[in-house]
Amino acid sequence: MQKDESTDKLKWEAWAERHTDPADVRKKDEALDGTIVLDLSQGNFAGLFCSSTLGEFGAKVIRVEPPGGDVARKYSPFGLKVRDTGFAYIAEARNKYHVTLNLETERGRTLLSSLARKADFLVETFPADHLDRLGVGYRQLSRENPGLIYVAINTFGLYGEEASKGRRSSDVVAQALSGLVNITGQPENGGPSEHAVPTKHGNWMAWYSGGGFASFAALSALHFRHRTGKGQLIDVSEAESLMRFLDYNCLWYHALGKNRERVGNFDPAVFPYTYVRTKDGYTFLAGFSDINWFALTSIMGNEDLRAKFPSIFERLKLENEKQIFEALETWAKEFTSDEILSRVQEYDRTVGKGVVATGRVNTPEDTVNEENWWKRKVFKKIIDPYYGEILLQMPPWKMSETPPRVKTVCRPVGADNDYIFSKYLGIGPSELSSLKEEGVL
Amino acid sequence: MNPVAERTIARNDFFDFTRALFDLKKVFGKPEALSDLRVIEFGTLFLGPVTSTFLGEFGAEVIKVELPGAGDTARSLTPWGQFWKNAALSWLSESRNKYHVAIDLHKEKGRDLFLELISKSDVVVENMRAGTLERKFGIGYRQLREVNPRIIYAANSGFGQWGPYTTGRASYDAVAQAVSGLASITGFQGHPPLKAGIWIGDYYGALMSAVSILAAVNYRDKTGKGQFIDFSQSENLIRALDWTWVAHGQTGKNRERYGNRDRAIVPAGVYRCADGFVAVSALDDGEFRGLAKAMGKPGLAAEERFATVEARLVEEHAGALHAMLSEWAAGRKVAEVEKLGTDLAFGAAGVKKAEDHYRSRHLRERGSVWSVDDAIYGEVVEYGPIPKMSETPGRIKWAGKPVGYDNEKVLAEILGYDYLGIRTLEEEGIIGKWSNIMGRKPPEEMLLKEE
Repeated sequence: MQKDESTDKLKWEAWAERHTDPADVRKKDEALDGTIVLDLSQGNFAGLFCSSTLGEFGAKVIRVEPPGGDVARKYSPFGLKVRDTGFAYIAEARNKYHVTLNLETERGRTLLSSLARKADFLVETFPADHLDRLGVGYRQLSRENPGLIYVAINTFGLYGEEASKGRRSSDVVAQALSGLVNITGQPENGGPSEHAVPTKHGNWMAWYSGGGFASFAALSALHFRHRTGKGQLIDVSEAESLMRFLDYNCLWYHALGKNRERVGNFDPAVFPYTYVRTKDGYTFLAGFSDINWFALTSIMGNEDLRAKFPSIFERLKLENEKQIFEALETWAKEFTSDEILSRVQEYDRTVGKGVVATGRVNTPEDTVNEENWWKRKVFKKIIDPYYGEILLQMPPWKMSETPPRVKTVCRPVGADNDYIFSKYLGIGPSELSSLKEEGVL
Repeated sequence: MNPVAERTIARNDFFDFTRALFDLKKVFGKPEALSDLRVIEFGTLFLGPVTSTFLGEFGAEVIKVELPGAGDTARSLTPWGQFWKNAALSWLSESRNKYHVAIDLHKEKGRDLFLELISKSDVVVENMRAGTLERKFGIGYRQLREVNPRIIYAANSGFGQWGPYTTGRASYDAVAQAVSGLASITGFQGHPPLKAGIWIGDYYGALMSAVSILAAVNYRDKTGKGQFIDFSQSENLIRALDWTWVAHGQTGKNRERYGNRDRAIVPAGVYRCADGFVAVSALDDGEFRGLAKAMGKPGLAAEERFATVEARLVEEHAGALHAMLSEWAAGRKVAEVEKLGTDLAFGAAGVKKAEDHYRSRHLRERGSVWSVDDAIYGEVVEYGPIPKMSETPGRIKWAGKPVGYDNEKVLAEILGYDYLGIRTLEEEGIIGKWSNIMGRKPPEEMLLKEE
């Protein structure tokens, strides 16, 4: 970054805002400017999220759908749509040029190969050997474009015992395989229960995790290609992606023979660190290390509690956790979540010994109504010429030199056929219309 | 040759190709994608540290800087306080592949040492509260870029480096889950919102922080320019809540907790079987035909209310289907449903636990469950690098280490200190090693040997 004498005297927060405020993104460079992504995802938001990420950083994303459109356009809460497209797809269509290609036709595959010769990244989510069998898989495409970074997202992977069985997946299937479902939720107490069961995440956490690792690998590969010119094949499983976040799960079993179990809103390895009921809902409270435990019990005005469980190791015993939890709830239910936050901040200003982290358990509506996120430009209402006004969540990174950005919201099926096929393959309107008649587009 | 036989041969050929291409035995013979990057990490717990862990799995040389003695609080995070060989279980897995140095940054000479490291590095990761490194230590981004203008500096936090929630507000993983809305959409209506069973805001946050670092690295490859990155884990979870915000914009209605049913894809959910729980889904009409057949009711797929993706999403139809699936699954075993899913091509998988992962030949063959022969801890089995890369595969070289374990190596190799110079720094308390508490020190047998 250029040294800027005029801003160097600013306080840190002001300096950071000055240099990373998304209001200025238009004037700055894009990290992946000049790269091209082909996204062939089908019914899979890991693939769609991966290309969203690359597109937010400036790659040109060409989204290839089958002639009728991707089935992912139909996934939407209660089937609701904006014109022809479901809410979920609208969220992940950002910055993408939308073309159609029928890969069941010879001509469709030829056109794909021609596009792939110009691409830097290809993202696909088909069954492992599907495109290979059609003659447009990694082996065939990389022969003509050795620099191609080919990202295959598949829950059961491209190799390994389960890979060749043709098993189908989805976000929930990947969540189950990851082990996360098994350890999220309330423990069963007595007989079978409707709600004290292994519980899936509300959002598509496995798909987002898979898409995240796919982007991570794609960008690592790009950096390697910069040095060597070589492309490569990348294999990402959404189930394994989420599994990776289970930290000591596997090692605990290896070392001490223990399977991790559900503990509701407690945490086996850190306590207090939990949601507690307040006057108006729930809030998070923590005070794990000794100094932070001091802060928490000071804010609560409960020195007895502090003295009763003086060290981390005592606070980590399950029977003690229950006692501490009760004390926390007895205290917290006298206040609203925001009152607790004020008390924490007051303590931080006046005493400041140790740190307590707290935060209301927001409904999405609470979140969207908090001014903070709008000031940080986490949300944006964008007018799309076809889909109208859309509320979108923005990329999560603020960057001083190459901030990510959202330029367009969504496009109807095949809306960019004219532009993309003429720009990259020199195919004009007359040929396009015959391709359309032949069922290639 | 008949078409079926021909297809089978082509399939085998493809899977032979991938098996050879990704063979774990070849991993250490191949290059690493990020081997030209040096990363300095000054982080605590997980949001910062795991960011550099992911970079380190793909070849970056990660130097983790801790304070001498107690080091990172993460060294205490182990389930029910059970340590193994004097180490926290989460530590061994997450601090893999790093060099562990302990420098007292409260002292001026310590900060000088830190700056010397920065001048020879590419990336810095930290996750203190906003501005702490600058205000408290005088080694924030503005100071570091003076020493190294090419530096890429990732500041990971709960609420970002600026904005109304920044000042004085600490965050943890579960705060991010709370304020983003994630916890409130997880769990069952009429019951409390649910925290994930894991530190998802930290781990998934760390992953996405690493993604932005790599974008910045690629930009630097072209231009030589470093930069500053402000990353908030709460905002990252907001980003991951799929259709939540579009739905709010369109309908003005709140997204509720829908328990184990996906309300945007039908059917997709977790069901109770006779011997456990199973996830079942049908993403398109073809998969639904397979599922209907498995349920012994192939006619369902032809009924108007279930025949298409759109029809199944109508709440009344979705509810009816959910009831039928619940009843059907209750009478079956998990393995039976999994097999039907494979044979009839719909989504089906049991809810797996640690032991299932540990014993899975599939995951071992893929290195997603990885056995490390570690010089300090012996055999350590943990989750391996996740994206599989044919040319530059990730790998685990060693597990986490005690506080200050690599002081000598780093100071000698990178900064050129000789033996006497290092001893002087040690005597002055500029650098140091572990204190005698759990999670910081080496295993007992190693301590005995040293005595």
